[in-house]
Amino acid sequence: MQIYLPIAEVSVNLILLLGLGTFIGFLSGMFGVGGGFLMTPLLIFIGIPPAVAVPTVANQVVASSASGAIAHWRRKTIDLKMGWLLLAGGAAGSVAGVQLFGLLRSLGQIDLIISLCYVGFLGVIGGLMFVESVTAILRKRRGGTIARRTAHRKRNWIDALPFKTRFPASGLYLSVIPPIVIGFFVGTLSAIMGVGGGFVMVPAMIYLLRMPTSVVVGTSLFQILFVTALTTFLQAAQNQTVDIVLALSLIVGGVVGAQLGARAGRRISAENLRAILAVMVVSVCLKLGWDLIATPSEMFAIMPSGGAGS
Amino acid sequence: MTGLIPFLALMLQATPAAAQEPEIMAALTQETVEIRSDFSGAELILFGAARGVEEGDDIVVVVRGPASDLRVMRKARTFGIWINRAPVRFEDVPGYYAVASTRPLSELGSFSALRRSGIGLDHLRLSAPDTETRETRFGVEVTVSAIGEEVAEYRAAIARTRRTEGLFAETAQGVEILDGGLFRAVVKLPPRTPIGDYVADVYLFRDGVAVASRSATLEVRKAGIERLIYDFAYENSVLYGLTAVALALLFGWGAAAVFNRR
Repeated sequence: MQIYLPIAEVSVNLILLLGLGTFIGFLSGMFGVGGGFLMTPLLIFIGIPPAVAVPTVANQVVASSASGAIAHWRRKTIDLKMGWLLLAGGAAGSVAGVQLFGLLRSLGQIDLIISLCYVGFLGVIGGLMFVESVTAILRKRRGGTIARRTAHRKRNWIDALPFKTRFPASGLYLSVIPPIVIGFFVGTLSAIMGVGGGFVMVPAMIYLLRMPTSVVVGTSLFQILFVTALTTFLQAAQNQTVDIVLALSLIVGGVVGAQLGARAGRRISAENLRAILAVMVVSVCLKLGWDLIATPSEMFAIMPSGGAGS
Repeated sequence: MTGLIPFLALMLQATPAAAQEPEIMAALTQETVEIRSDFSGAELILFGAARGVEEGDDIVVVVRGPASDLRVMRKARTFGIWINRAPVRFEDVPGYYAVASTRPLSELGSFSALRRSGIGLDHLRLSAPDTETRETRFGVEVTVSAIGEEVAEYRAAIARTRRTEGLFAETAQGVEILDGGLFRAVVKLPPRTPIGDYVADVYLFRDGVAVASRSATLEVRKAGIERLIYDFAYENSVLYGLTAVALALLFGWGAAAVFNRR
């Protein structure tokens, strides 16, 4: 069953879109990730123009992060003060990212930058995740207990920064600069890559800010919700590249998939889950990387002049 | 559509056959094509009638879609990856261009006749004004391209890419001659058909030149919900953005509410 997408201006199979939404929703429910970093490349693979895929996935991430953020809000596992700082940086980053996106599109280089960002981030994150999960699986096989490294509160350069303030919910006394910078970075990524950015923010919060794990996920979802909402709005208002029909198809599939995934996730061990996810992330990275280096069948790229259309 | 052939035939008979001034008539089976949510391409038929046709005459149908400016870039390997380089801007490139004829174009028309009317993928005018300068050489004003022969490769790339997308086409046997000076040609619109005004030019070729021509128009537009959404996104961008965010929040909240109940 074909459906014509009004903004992307392509005709795609509706069942395929719903299936894709369900599949990514399933993964996000299972692994507790947003899934934007897999969704955007997959949409590009099925023929959605990157300039539409990126902002539309940001729109879909609004929906998936909203349900997560509401759940954490009820459980009071959000460090609001930290959240607002990350959000302030994120909002600025999102505005900057949308401008950069428009500029790169008018230069004809947006596809390249999106691909490069994906190859870089997916490669690093997927690689690290794979090594970590395989080590964990091997250690478990040998019958050893998983040694938990406790985060030592060593003084480092972050503690030397000015404008310190207390974060009661996280039990930290920290400069406001790192959260704003991290937020800005993630906001820019959200605009350029169409991702929530949880895969960058969560490690940064744990390893750089040393926030307690109990509030990390809730706080990052809080920031992602508002930043992706802002990105969606800006992309729609400025570049007219958000396809509501595409976004809704993905959201409907994603809602169902997330519920199924959350249940399936309870039956598989965490290490195996992470290993599967790592393999998927690395495969998408390799496919994108291959497309960058392989000799293209068409040596010319044709695009509308002056940035109009996609 | 069913009444079209008798109608055209009647028009032919109504005029005295003695006046052998060649004349041509043409009509499309549809004057508007609507792109709705289930749009996956369309096929129209152009019917026509020619009067004063002699042995060896040919019919050529050229359909052109709305023109827009294009940027064409050549890929070049830099640090091992392929990057778009050397942009050239082409002006007024038709978004759709299809030629159908009774015989291969090179057999029925002279080079200059085809070039003048822009008939055929080899003769379609694709101008890159930024690279061109007008110069006087040997007393004749000529167009000189700053990138020389290379511009031909860019032109070929446009034609090649559009052909694979089904947006450009050239069919040598595309015009079918029926009885009594009637003819028909099939116009195929692919799923990526651009919206806008189309013109179908029909030519009667004799001894290498067009002796009669006629135009018919066609409009391709978005309709129904597709049109509403498209207009909304472009005319009320701010409100559209807010709606997109609100819908996503509603679905997210709904999912959380349902999930929480279990």
